[in-house]
Amino acid sequence: MRFHFTEEQEAFRREVRDFLREERDAGTFATDVGELVGRPSLEFSRKLAKRGWIGMTWPRQYGGQGRSYVDKMILNEELMKVQAPIGYHFAADRQVGPALMIFGAEWQKEFFLPRIIRAEEHMKFCLLFSEPGAGSDLVAVSTRAEKDGDHYVINGQKVWTSGGHEADYGWMLARTNLDSSVPKHQGCSEFIIDMKTPGITVRPVINMAGEHSFNEVFFDGVRIDRKYLVGKENAGFQQIMAQMDYERAGIERLLQNYPIYERLIGHVRKMDKGGGDQGFYYWVRDQVAQLEIEFNVGRLLCYQTAWIIDQGRKPSSEAALTKAFCTQYEQRLNDLATRILGPLSQIKKGGPWSAFDGLPARGYLWGPSYTLQGGSVEVLKNILAQRGLGLPRR
Amino acid sequence: MEFKLSDDAIMIRNVASEYLKEKCTGAFLREMARDDRGFSRTMWREIAELGWLGILYDEEYGGSAAGFLDMFVIFEEMGKVLFPSPLFCSAILSGLIISEAGSESCRSVHLPAIIRGDEIFTTALLDERGKIDCDDPILAATESSKGVYAMQGTRLLVPYAHVADRMIVCAKAAGAAGEGSTLFQVEKGAGQEIVPLETMSGGKTFALVFEGTEVHSDSIIGTVGQGAVYIHRILPKVIALKCAEMLGGLQRVVAMTVGYVKERRQFGAPLGSLQAVQHHCADMATYLETTRLIAYQAASLISEGLPCEKEVAMAKAWCSDAYKQATWIGHQLHGGIGFTEEYDLHFFYKHAKESELAFGDARSHRAAVADFMGI
Repeated sequence: MRFHFTEEQEAFRREVRDFLREERDAGTFATDVGELVGRPSLEFSRKLAKRGWIGMTWPRQYGGQGRSYVDKMILNEELMKVQAPIGYHFAADRQVGPALMIFGAEWQKEFFLPRIIRAEEHMKFCLLFSEPGAGSDLVAVSTRAEKDGDHYVINGQKVWTSGGHEADYGWMLARTNLDSSVPKHQGCSEFIIDMKTPGITVRPVINMAGEHSFNEVFFDGVRIDRKYLVGKENAGFQQIMAQMDYERAGIERLLQNYPIYERLIGHVRKMDKGGGDQGFYYWVRDQVAQLEIEFNVGRLLCYQTAWIIDQGRKPSSEAALTKAFCTQYEQRLNDLATRILGPLSQIKKGGPWSAFDGLPARGYLWGPSYTLQGGSVEVLKNILAQRGLGLPRR
Repeated sequence: MEFKLSDDAIMIRNVASEYLKEKCTGAFLREMARDDRGFSRTMWREIAELGWLGILYDEEYGGSAAGFLDMFVIFEEMGKVLFPSPLFCSAILSGLIISEAGSESCRSVHLPAIIRGDEIFTTALLDERGKIDCDDPILAATESSKGVYAMQGTRLLVPYAHVADRMIVCAKAAGAAGEGSTLFQVEKGAGQEIVPLETMSGGKTFALVFEGTEVHSDSIIGTVGQGAVYIHRILPKVIALKCAEMLGGLQRVVAMTVGYVKERRQFGAPLGSLQAVQHHCADMATYLETTRLIAYQAASLISEGLPCEKEVAMAKAWCSDAYKQATWIGHQLHGGIGFTEEYDLHFFYKHAKESELAFGDARSHRAAVADFMGI
């Protein structure tokens, strides 16, 4: 057992920190909270690409660095702590690339992998999974991709498509076997969708934070070449399950609101310990200490998940446990921050009287999404119980 | 980061697991609860022979100077079966105090006997309020004549006092040799009353009342006035091992409960097929995995001689709540059967509460974490 990093890893962490400090000082980005990852910035992604920080874990044969998932998590931890603008390449790096490496056709690997790694133009991916009738019940997807000669014709609708309005490509799960006697999970396929294909309409859905982050995406007779099928036809659901583990395994689930946590600790350190409301002060100490312990626990869970991947194992129940734990911590953090800062924490960014530049207000508004996006806590607990503990399905 | 044990530690764990699983059954626990001594002399000799008492100590005293994690995994295994013995109070708490505070002659006289299991020590840390008062002891040791102190006061929840050959206390000394928090090792004798205490968890624990007990100055361990310093130095190891024991118990509770809900059928299906039950079990599994990580983090840092006080506080805070909460879920999922004496779950419910309250509960360790955070 070892609960600290090697010299090289610490040096790497310092290198990332130094880079981020320079970028922030130069005004390349500002730290904010809200969405899962920072804004898309092609320029910023290119800087990371130049350093080999995209596709870090990919094998060298695909242009990657062949580094460990623990190293990648060190990079991500530092990026997420300051909410660096990595939105352009994030989804592609995290799961599109790895999925293509396992399931992709040769041409797909040759075309997409190097372009993703180099953060080339027109390489932003969005995920097209959820539908109005298929949220937690992903297998109920009904968007269909029907074969027509050398094409598939897609009809249907996706929802909660984060960044769909800025994406160049979509990674989609659609139904390819419409025979109702075939079990639903054996009738789906994965596709890469060029978002400029005629027949695709992206419509904003404003979230309760008042922001445009996700979308509805409509497919009306969208013809795509069959070469855009990823992996085996009708094996899409199985292919996706492994990708879900990667989607859930990240430290981003713990750090979405880290800027608030950092400022909160600074704020509490400066609290009046002598006079004032002693009862409040001691309550704050107790609550923040609990957050600190939860944060430490969450961090260990994340790094253990990365380590499990590095051991060559699939972290399905561990990733589910980790994500459920971390996202609940995030909600508690925001709630506690508003209770410690008091009524002023409600004031949004932009005025002289908002607490922490309006970060808690924004963070709290995004709160309900944390335990829903990427697999609700309830689904994750099902996975933990069934796959992790072997409890029977109904 | 490395999240698995060394092969050596795994081997030690397997040996401990085999031994304890066979010998420390539910029937054995009940037998020991009825027994006056409360532990098996045979098993005491056997674990001494296995070297369990000497793991933390140098070979010159008969120890094996093995890594701290080796001791940790043994405590984890003992926690799984709630093995009753004076190992903790004698070879851990008292042994570490002597090792830390004792002069060379004190160590060479007592440590080998402790490690062989020939002598049983206990340490009485709690005052009549149930607090560890070593920083400013209520128990007084006042010099009555040259080199002789009269000890006055009460110590509570002293484990195995009835079989202990010697008892270590921290008293406020006042005399020619100096003043303040001082460690004494006291033989059983006149001027003392040992009163059995019946507690929730049913372990052998006692009140120790000193009524002007005569204690010689050569029974002082270490330097006068430094008692609290020594105790604070060893507490991280002691607490980490308590967390190991809690981790073991928690593991057993989860295993017992998951096993139960797979078997138990209601509404025409296994209880474990119901989503509410599955979510409760997922919560238990989360308590277990998080406890495992935070406890091993503390132990791992200790084993490497790295700064660990904040991590130990985090571990004890977390374990205290997690183990207890898991026993609540365990009872809820077992239904009526879990509430019987005959079923083993109650042992862990009681152990979780006893462990929570020992060496500081979650709230008290959170206060320590807050101190480390500078807030």
